[in-house]
Parts: sequence; C-alpha cells; structure tokens
Amino acid sequence: MSTPGISILDGKYMVTMDLFPQQSKEFNQIYKFYEYLKEGRFTTTKCKDCGSEPFPPRVMCPDCYSTNVEWIDWPTIGTVIDVTEEAVGVPLGFGKPPLVHALVDLDGKKTFFVRIINCKTGELKSGDKVKLAVFDVDPVPQEFGREVINIPRVFYAFEPVK
Amino acid sequence: MDRNVCVIAGGMSKWGVRDGSQRDFFQEAAKACYDDNPQLNPKEIDGLLVASAYTERTSYQTHLAPLVAEYVGIQPKNICARVELLCASGSSAIILAFAMIKSGQADIVMVAGGEKLYTPQKWEIFYSELASVDHDWDGGQGLGLPPPVFAMVAKQHMLKYGTKKEHLGVVSVKNRRNSAKNPKAQFQTPVTMEEVMSGRMIVPPLTLYDCCPITDGAACIVLAAEEMAKDMTDKPLVYIRGTAQASVNNMSANMPNWTTWEALKIAAQQAYSKSKVDPKEVNVAMTHDCFTISEIIEMEDLGFCKKGEGGFFVADGQNDFGGQVPTNTDGGLLGCGHPFGGTGIRQGIEVTRQLRGDAIQQVPNATIGLTHNLSGFIAAHTVLIYGREVA
Repeated sequence: MSTPGISILDGKYMVTMDLFPQQSKEFNQIYKFYEYLKEGRFTTTKCKDCGSEPFPPRVMCPDCYSTNVEWIDWPTIGTVIDVTEEAVGVPLGFGKPPLVHALVDLDGKKTFFVRIINCKTGELKSGDKVKLAVFDVDPVPQEFGREVINIPRVFYAFEPVK
Repeated sequence: MDRNVCVIAGGMSKWGVRDGSQRDFFQEAAKACYDDNPQLNPKEIDGLLVASAYTERTSYQTHLAPLVAEYVGIQPKNICARVELLCASGSSAIILAFAMIKSGQADIVMVAGGEKLYTPQKWEIFYSELASVDHDWDGGQGLGLPPPVFAMVAKQHMLKYGTKKEHLGVVSVKNRRNSAKNPKAQFQTPVTMEEVMSGRMIVPPLTLYDCCPITDGAACIVLAAEEMAKDMTDKPLVYIRGTAQASVNNMSANMPNWTTWEALKIAAQQAYSKSKVDPKEVNVAMTHDCFTISEIIEMEDLGFCKKGEGGFFVADGQNDFGGQVPTNTDGGLLGCGHPFGGTGIRQGIEVTRQLRGDAIQQVPNATIGLTHNLSGFIAAHTVLIYGREVA
C-alpha cells in the first residue's frame, strides 16, 4: 500500500478517509445494528417507555429522552416510490456510473433514500419491490494495546427482488 | 441593550477555480471589503466570525478564526471564532454577529467566509462531501452533496405539480445571464435555453446547467451598531431586520416531505414575523439555487407564489428583473459558484448593494431584501431579511 505525496502514511488506516462507519463496540455503542446486519436483519432501537421507533438507532429516545431502549427488527423488503441514476459525480468507492438510488417505502415504517445495487440502468421503476442487500466492506485495523486486529465490517444497500 | 444593526461594508474575492490557498482568498475578500468602505478603520473591528465548512478537510486547518484575523490585519477583542453549517455557514455567522451587536456584546463585527475546495487531485472533494450528510447512514449510500437528492426532489415536484424541465432551464438562463455581468462570479458567460436543454446529463432530470459548480473563494461583510455605523459610512444604511434558522430533520429517512421544505417554511415565517415583513413586500431575494429545482421550491415555500406554482412563476419572469421579486441578481450559486462558507456572505453583500442602490444590476427602489440558504441534506434553512429601515 502506498500514499503518494505522504510517504509516512504508507500502510496506515485513516478514519477521516473512511467511507463507512466504525462498527466495533469500542467505537460505536450501536454496534449491534451491524451485528444484526451480518445476519441479514435490518434493525433499529425501540423505546420501551414510549414505544417510539426512531431511525437511525439511538442510545437515547429522541421523543421521551429515555435510555431504556431495545432492538427490534424492521422489514427488509420495501416498495420503490421513484428512482434516480447518477451519471456524473459518483464518489470514489461506489462503483462505475450510474449510481442508482431509490426512494423506498419500507412498509410504512420510513421512507428511505438508499443505494440500489445489482440493478441495471433503467431496470428499476416505481412500484417495484426491493430487498435489503448486505455486503462486506474493508475491515478496520484497530489497535488493542500493541496488537492490531482487523475488525470485519458490513454495510447495506437494497437490490431488486427478482 | 437592544440596538439596531447595519451592514457597513462588504466585498469578495474572485470566485471560481482559483489559483491560491484558503488564506489567500480571505485576504483578497478582506481587501475588497475594506475598499468598499474607506471610512471603515479595520483596526476598530472588535469581533470576527469566520464561516468555513471544509477547512479541516481540504485545507487541513482548524482554529481558523485567529488565523484569518492575523492575515486580514485585525485584532478582535469581543469574539474570534468559526461558525459551521456547511452551505449556510456564512449566513449563520451573520445571524450570530447581528445578535452580538444587537445585544451589546460587540460593536463592529467582520464576518468572513470562504473555502479552498479544489485539491491537487479532484477525487478528494467529491469524497470529502460524504462528510456533509449523516456520514454513518447517508454517506455510506454514496450521497455526498447530493445531486441524486435534488434529482429526486425535481422528479417528485414534476410529478406532483407539473413542473417542467424548461422551468428549470429558465432559472439557469436567468442566473447565468446575471453572473455574466458580475466580474467576481465563477461563470462569465451566459447560456441559452438550447444549451441548457442539451446539457450533459448529471442525474436525470438534472443536467449540467441545473447544478452549481465547485468553487474556491471568499467573501467578507462588516456589521456595526447603528450609532457607530452612521459615522462610518456615507452610503445609505442597510439594516438587518430579522433572522431565523430552522431544522426539523437531518437523515434522509426523516425528511417529512420532499417537495415542500417544512424547515424553510418555519424559518421564513419566523424571519417575516420578526422583521414585520410580508412575503409580498420583498423587493429582491438571494435564494439558495444549488440546483435549479431548489430556486423553484424556494419561491413557493418563501411565500412568493402558491405551492406548486414555482415553475410557472419563474417561467413567467416573476423572479426576474421587472417581475414580483427579482432573485439571484448577482448570479446566485449557479452563476457565482458556491464556496460553502462564502455563499451567505455573498448574498448579504448583493442584498446590501441592492438596498443601497449601487448594485451592478439594480432593482429600482428596492427597500426590503431577503437571503436564504439551505444546507446539508436539505436539513436546515436560514433566512435573513434586510431593509433600508428597521423593523
């Protein structure tokens, strides 16, 4: 590995250049979201006091401010409201254009604007069903004392139901 | 203490794809600001608020305000800090400077905003934009400063209200025509409707001329308490009448509505109420035309026309010279470009000139002006109302 122009960074990990979130418990108290994601589950936190189900998942309920929250499963299949296909300006790390996004109604829970993968240009249209798609992303080489351990990571998009 | 607050000077660097560093542009902007008002003694400025969003990412510089103070030759004694709200950093800093002066915490405050966004390798700016939305959730979906978001807004608005691609084109043609007459703007050439309609596809339905560019540059404005301002300028005084800033969501999943911007309606209502101004009384406006569809929705949610009629309003020339509310008379973001922290200040400068009566393209007899920024994933809206008289 080499970093042109900054030779001292050869082989170093940079959180400030990472596309994806930290997913270890040392760096993220909602790490269970990612553990469940690895099982193909799409989850959030539900407040045990007021019943609120916010997304993204929280440490504290944003409605009644309780910290008494539990993990619940949300649907993994949604319905496409509309689609966009980005031809120019796709950030590094998100493949060759077009980068497809869709506004997805997740069974009445929330309307998500998410990346759609495994989908050809022009393939997806309003009313189509899409499902959660979980994929591996680069592990984080995290220091534990003098040891460096690779923390495996995943992230999610949606894909057409075929 | 409750004092009236005036704008007494303003100026900007040349904006565009610039040779130079962030600190170079702050000096150029300060020079233009000092030249705008030779009666202002910069040594008397007692506060500095600096607006910059990407200073850490593209200039590797935090603790920016003391650096800018040193470079522009001032020694603030009441406030010296940076304000960040991405695309609305500049107008946020103006609001805070206004509040400090109004309450007596400072007398003469410079607000300086700008960015060096172009990096030696261009991929880094697009990559850095993933920090501007909720990085852990929307950033991971590849949504930077998001053309796909505004494309979705445009599609939904077209579907719901019959807005046409040609309506978007009218905004591009108007703002590029205006920027062509503004020597500080990034784009110095007008575009025709034919060029706009055949522009390179970015994210359907948005093509090249629907999108504001990436821009280097800076701008400075100086505010002062009325009693001091009277002795520091021979030009007509321009007052800040009222301000507001609202946010109701951040992550995309929490957008209450894609075609009506709830936070904009709240901010506008608050600003109108504090300023004792009715939308119909606004003579000139600088609204956040990061994409053409934005300006159309802003006409609606700022109350200049009925909901859903924004496309037809702009196509009818109602937000151009001779219409109800000439908008982005200096070229807006589409023409001037958009160095995030600089934009709200550029808007404040142009509204000040319109109200003083010395704009490059003057709206006749303008007495009330409005500026608006949106920021992030359409997550916050900022509205300021300026006037020749206090509220």
